[in-house]
Amino acid sequence: MEIRIKNLSKDFFSEGKRIKALSNVNLTIPANQIFTLLGPSGCGKTTLLRSIVGLETPDSGEIAIGEEIVWAKEKNIFVPPEKRRLSMVFQTYAIWPHMTVFDNVAYPLQTRKEAKDEIRAKVQKTLRFVQLEGFENRPATKLSGGQQQRVALARALVPEPKVILFDEPLSNLDAKLREETRKELRSFLTKLKITAVYVTHDRIEALSLSDAIAVMKDGRMVEIGTPKKIYFDSDHRFVADFIGRANLINGKVIAFEDSYTIVDSSMGTISCQKSPNASVGDAVTLCIRPEFIKVLETDTSEESNIFRGRVESLLFVGDAYEGEIVIADTRLITRIEPTTSVAEGDELILSFDPNHCFVLSK
Amino acid sequence: MNWKMFNTRKALTPSLIAIVGFLTVCPVVMLVFGSFSEGIGAFGKFTLAKYIQSYTDPAFAGIIVNTVIFTLGSGFVATILALFLAYLNTRTNIPFKFLFRIISIIPMMIPHILFSVSWVLLLNPSNGLINLFLREILNLQNSPFNIYTLRGMILVEGLLDLPIAYLILAPAMAAFDVSLEESSKVSGASNLRTLTKVTLPVLRPAILASFILVIVRSLASFAVPSIIGMPGRIYVLATHIYRIIATGFAADYGMAAAVGMSALAASITLIYLYRYLTSESEKYVTISSRGYRPTLIELKNAKYPLFGIVGLLSFVLIVLPVLVLFYTSLVPYSMVPGAKAFSMMNWKHWLEVLRDPISLLSLKNSVFLGIVGATLGVILAIFVSYVIVKVRTPAAGLLESISFLSFSFPGIVIGVGFMWFFVRTPLYATIWSLLIGYIATYLPYGIRPLTSAFVQIHSHLEESSRVCGGGTFYTLRRIVIPLLIPGVVSGWILMATMFVRELTLSVVLSRPGTEVLAVQILRFAEDGLWGKLSALGIMMIFISTAIVIIASLIGMKMTRVAEID
Repeated sequence: MEIRIKNLSKDFFSEGKRIKALSNVNLTIPANQIFTLLGPSGCGKTTLLRSIVGLETPDSGEIAIGEEIVWAKEKNIFVPPEKRRLSMVFQTYAIWPHMTVFDNVAYPLQTRKEAKDEIRAKVQKTLRFVQLEGFENRPATKLSGGQQQRVALARALVPEPKVILFDEPLSNLDAKLREETRKELRSFLTKLKITAVYVTHDRIEALSLSDAIAVMKDGRMVEIGTPKKIYFDSDHRFVADFIGRANLINGKVIAFEDSYTIVDSSMGTISCQKSPNASVGDAVTLCIRPEFIKVLETDTSEESNIFRGRVESLLFVGDAYEGEIVIADTRLITRIEPTTSVAEGDELILSFDPNHCFVLSK
Repeated sequence: MNWKMFNTRKALTPSLIAIVGFLTVCPVVMLVFGSFSEGIGAFGKFTLAKYIQSYTDPAFAGIIVNTVIFTLGSGFVATILALFLAYLNTRTNIPFKFLFRIISIIPMMIPHILFSVSWVLLLNPSNGLINLFLREILNLQNSPFNIYTLRGMILVEGLLDLPIAYLILAPAMAAFDVSLEESSKVSGASNLRTLTKVTLPVLRPAILASFILVIVRSLASFAVPSIIGMPGRIYVLATHIYRIIATGFAADYGMAAAVGMSALAASITLIYLYRYLTSESEKYVTISSRGYRPTLIELKNAKYPLFGIVGLLSFVLIVLPVLVLFYTSLVPYSMVPGAKAFSMMNWKHWLEVLRDPISLLSLKNSVFLGIVGATLGVILAIFVSYVIVKVRTPAAGLLESISFLSFSFPGIVIGVGFMWFFVRTPLYATIWSLLIGYIATYLPYGIRPLTSAFVQIHSHLEESSRVCGGGTFYTLRRIVIPLLIPGVVSGWILMATMFVRELTLSVVLSRPGTEVLAVQILRFAEDGLWGKLSALGIMMIFISTAIVIIASLIGMKMTRVAEID
């Protein structure tokens, strides 16, 4: 089901100060996609999610799920959370400690007063799906973190909702388990025809799980796009910086060539992706991801974007060196092949493909 | 949304502040006014006469000295014993560790008055069982022990307050950062040196806190001073107040209030010191090495001798009092256990108690107060805890402070304060005056377990139920109430057992017709009717135990057994 959000605003009052949690948010979440709300803490992503599910009451605007308007200030509509027929996985999992795994998962069906055998069959099917078969009679608190997480997922899936909401569901797992669960979750969700709204502040989670990502800041939508669009070709400086490690370079457009834009910066003249929005003379910011900067053995002047710099610092992190290289007075973060023989203080020749250097328009 | 509900919610905090404020502040205010009044019939006519009369009494200095020795002594005994036990339990490989849990909980279930009586029965100079036994065996003229001394009072009060001291020290000891000790040992210090140079100094705030809390408790204690102190003519503040209102010459509530003011002031000062120290100790003792179990010290040869001491302590604290009382209730007069004693055993004292109308009335009143009082008290505690944990406004903070205020009030002083109040109302000399006084004094016992229960109910647990399709009442029934029940049950049990045994407040408020168990036991003690006393005492223990068991069973029935870690 599609979720449409119109002009949604909400203010919080904290210590006498007014904080804009949501500021005139307009958003359409397409049906049957994994849609991620990404942003730093306090950006309003969780407030938006909780408004969709009905646990938070916005100040103004309208929320529609499918054909039904579930909340509209002006029309005085408020469908309480228990009537919205959505499912949600909480950050804390919210597993009820006084119930067994079976009762936790059966709960949504029990509230709908389904027949007992029907409930038993559905719970068993769902537990099989999340690989928790045989755990029915365990007290829910006697499970590991990862297992509790799957109980929470099973409970969300069992009523076969059209929409499922996730509030940072992986943030309480340790790093290794988080990676595994992420993969599992992706495969669970793609198997089902379901709209998933996923809130996270973890960019890797957002990139690897989502069909689309909406980046939020200070209660506003900044940019919406596919993971690749957001990573490789975002329009906003904030988004480019937030979604991954980035070298942001200030410069000025001096010319347009065939398929490139030529920008003058403190490290020299840089060719970058064509940007239709900029015109000659504009001040712009360029974004180059560290992994696209190559170290050259010799100065083959056939390549464009060739720079000489000095290695300021070098950190061996296993799969690469993380180096800081100074070109004139610009500092570039680079990832250097771990087998390269290089040391701090060395002079290096760097280059990068103009297609991987993009102009941020905002 | 639902405006009606919103308004009720808004009104909840102020009305609770009004109720709890009345319960805890009213007796104090009345006490202050009373102390400046000419008499209970002449309330509000200002005079300093009562203060002058109380504090110029030549005997008063002696009473203060007794009180200081008694409270400090009990503080030392309880804290040192508790420190010893806590160290053995958390830091050594002493066997049968479950005993420590028993030591820390069970003695609280034996009423203080009965514990004191059992020591009188063992060690009183004329016919204490141990004295009789030693006299027989060693052929002595005089009894070797006399419980009716300050030393006797300190010993018994120290043992009574041991569980409290242990419950403060054991967690502090368990949360102790072991790496501090390890670094001492790495530096070449022995176990003993590490203990005295590192462990104890780091634990100092917790040790002081336990010491001060025991002092507060012994200052408020009435059972030991009345059962053990008064026969030896050793008076402390609590018994001095009691003497002013209950014995000899006409009761003078003005003078009682004037004396009570100094007990109250001392108590409040000590509690503030205690609060300060506990917040200090939280700063001091940090848990830094998480999930890392401290290495236990190998006791080797000392293992079983030390365990012997622990075993003896648990015997003295738990088994001995009940045993002595039961024995005394069966023999016609004090005699050393033996063939002769066993041949003379009968149920005479029990039957006499069951035929004594006042004893029966006190049984009825105490059971009523226990069940009805605890039920009303827990209902109030549920609302108060809800506001404290879930509302969290400045007003809720105020409610929290006034709710725990009564912790620092000595019971007998509060009793005098309430007397000044009730005498002006139709509640005077009714069972309801006792009920109100009990709830006011013991409300914190109900609030503690309930606040922990509310803390455990994370808002996500309720929200998750709503999203799953459960409405407000469905969520209340299936999530909130089942999770609250363990807290409700333990709050109810704590209050009910406190009410069944209540002594200090009751000696002031109880009047003919509203006798309660502990007061009746005190009367028997004053008349030296040890046999009847013991029979009634065993009934009291039996009732408390029955209440605990039945309430736990009901609680278990109401919620399916939840394995909550």
